[in-house]
Amino acid sequence: MIETTARERRTKSQKAEIVAPRQGLRLPRPIRRLRRNAPMYAVQGLSALSTRLRELTGREVIDVGKVMEVVQFIYQQRELARRGPHYAVDDFGFDPQWTESFLIAFKVLYRDYWRVETTGVEHVPSSGRALLVANHAGVLPWDGTMIKTAVFAEHPHPRHVRALVASQFMGMPVMSWFLRRTGQAVGHPDDTRRLLARDELVLVFPEGTRGTGKSFKNRYRLTRFGRGGFVATAIRAQAPIIPVSVVGSEEIYPMLGDLGPVAKLFGLPYFPVTPFWPWLGPLGMIPLPSKWRIQFHPPVDVRELPVHAAEDQHLVMALADEVRDTIQRGIYHNLKLRRGVFL
Amino acid sequence: MTPHRPRRVLITGVSNPLGAEVARRLAPQVPQLFGCDVADPVSALEEMDFVHADTRLSVIGKLVRQLRIDTVVHLAVMVDSPHDERSIHETDVIGTMNVLVGCSGPASPVRRLVVKSSQAIYGAGAHDPSFFTEEMVNWDRPASGITRDLLEMEQLVSEFSLRTDACGVTVLRLGFRVSEDTSLARYLSLPIVPVFAGFDPRLQLLHEDDAAEAIVRAVVDDHQGAFNVAGDGVVLLSQAIDIMGGRSTPVLPPFGRWLSRLGLRALARIELPAYLADMLAFGSVMDCARLAAEFEWKPAYSSRQAMDALAAGKNVELIEAPSPRQEYELQVYLQQRRRRALRLSN
Repeated sequence: MIETTARERRTKSQKAEIVAPRQGLRLPRPIRRLRRNAPMYAVQGLSALSTRLRELTGREVIDVGKVMEVVQFIYQQRELARRGPHYAVDDFGFDPQWTESFLIAFKVLYRDYWRVETTGVEHVPSSGRALLVANHAGVLPWDGTMIKTAVFAEHPHPRHVRALVASQFMGMPVMSWFLRRTGQAVGHPDDTRRLLARDELVLVFPEGTRGTGKSFKNRYRLTRFGRGGFVATAIRAQAPIIPVSVVGSEEIYPMLGDLGPVAKLFGLPYFPVTPFWPWLGPLGMIPLPSKWRIQFHPPVDVRELPVHAAEDQHLVMALADEVRDTIQRGIYHNLKLRRGVFL
Repeated sequence: MTPHRPRRVLITGVSNPLGAEVARRLAPQVPQLFGCDVADPVSALEEMDFVHADTRLSVIGKLVRQLRIDTVVHLAVMVDSPHDERSIHETDVIGTMNVLVGCSGPASPVRRLVVKSSQAIYGAGAHDPSFFTEEMVNWDRPASGITRDLLEMEQLVSEFSLRTDACGVTVLRLGFRVSEDTSLARYLSLPIVPVFAGFDPRLQLLHEDDAAEAIVRAVVDDHQGAFNVAGDGVVLLSQAIDIMGGRSTPVLPPFGRWLSRLGLRALARIELPAYLADMLAFGSVMDCARLAAEFEWKPAYSSRQAMDALAAGKNVELIEAPSPRQEYELQVYLQQRRRRALRLSN
């Protein structure tokens, strides 16, 4: 403690700043205190309630952990709003912090809505490049978000998967903004090459819109795997190919028909007709709660192949067929493991 | 072939701010500097001989031969200008054609040609890859306005470089700049910025200093071919608006962009060229790896720093106010005296 004389204090003292009273109505102090403490009281009350209900009924009625996740999501969104323009995105426009805040929401879908069971996630490397190749189904690309969530939630080293999307989606408002922000790139060979060169995990759907737009009666039957371009890119980038089988995505929107002329009018690849869409309007866009399984297969190593093997169309098509067979077999295997569509 | 050292350099379009900056940086590095433009120069430069000449007329060819120019820096290419489309076409395409005609011919003294082009040549669309390399110019793009003019211009330049072995050609595709006088900067500086609903494109920017530096390096060193020139990294449009302190409002309909352009012109008095409207929906980013490899140099300002510089108003000092009348006359007098001295020594 530094001793100060009264004289020193007098010379160093400053005039008190006159603060104008805040404009507007000022709530009484108890109410202000209550408002400040309300979130804490709410959580305390909820946990007490959940304990009481557990004691009364003998089972978990309110899962406090899940409630806390929702609270965390809201807090993270507020945190994101506070950072202003002071954040960096990568050259593709990917904002990891923003994406992670949304992954919490997708995790709820992953765990509680579709009850995804993931196997073989250890085949995904913890670092370095790799090309994930998956089957594509369901009218909207929910399978992409679930694969992303699976790798982020289940892998010992959470990694962001960068999916390649059809360029049509990049021209759609909201869609293009969301896809870019969460790290997706255009399905162009040059974009794939660049992402792999940065040692990213890249997810491709060689079926493209042929896969998502196929009708319900053709479910779990893989369509043509492009022209094997993904194999050529993987060989050039010396990246292992990891086949991924997804089961459950076919049933989220059972597509009964396709209104071609309407699709053409809006510039869409297809215009689906399901039991609920477009009859129920926006309600028809809610996906059905089918049971999902995702299996990551052992990698197909193309690193021993010389780079010029990418020009060998015969080899490329053979490898593409091999990957396609692995995925198809994986689908049948996982369909057998599933007890029912919604169980 | 011995490496060419630029001795007698002609800069076309020297009166725009970029041209003036290039002239100022080039003056101490080359023995003889000539500049030509339609308008008076914005700043007087003692070491430069200024000639009133219009690239749209064939007089430019005579000028090149008479002055025994060995290096032409063609900056009279309008990309972002308040002029109407017809006069932009005249300047960009016909002007460049005249310059190329002036530089060609068996007895032509020109050994190096540096042409300013723009990122606008790539256009912007949903189907484009995330990054444009120099080979990705889509010559068949159904383009309009400045993109079409630039495509036509670069086609002329590449034909010229194929035809002429004696002259090395460098094309610099400069990124979008946000100095005080560009449409993009004016747009971003609005207090309420109308943006296309549901789009948040990536912007890649180039600082005025780096643009001038790239041109000077292309003149002094020998790098042939086309080069993308832009800052590192990207800034999202929403970030850029935040940095400028504006408020982005998604009111422009995402389709029918010409309507939005008309609206912006009527309400905010901002002339948004078609290529810029496309860029503000889909974004356009160039890959500058070739520049870094060949020039062994990269822009000092990243896209983000260029944006910050605009926000901080640092660009204000870069663009010079026109010098007073008397100073200009003094410069003309000094030039004449220098010329007389040269004639006497010859």
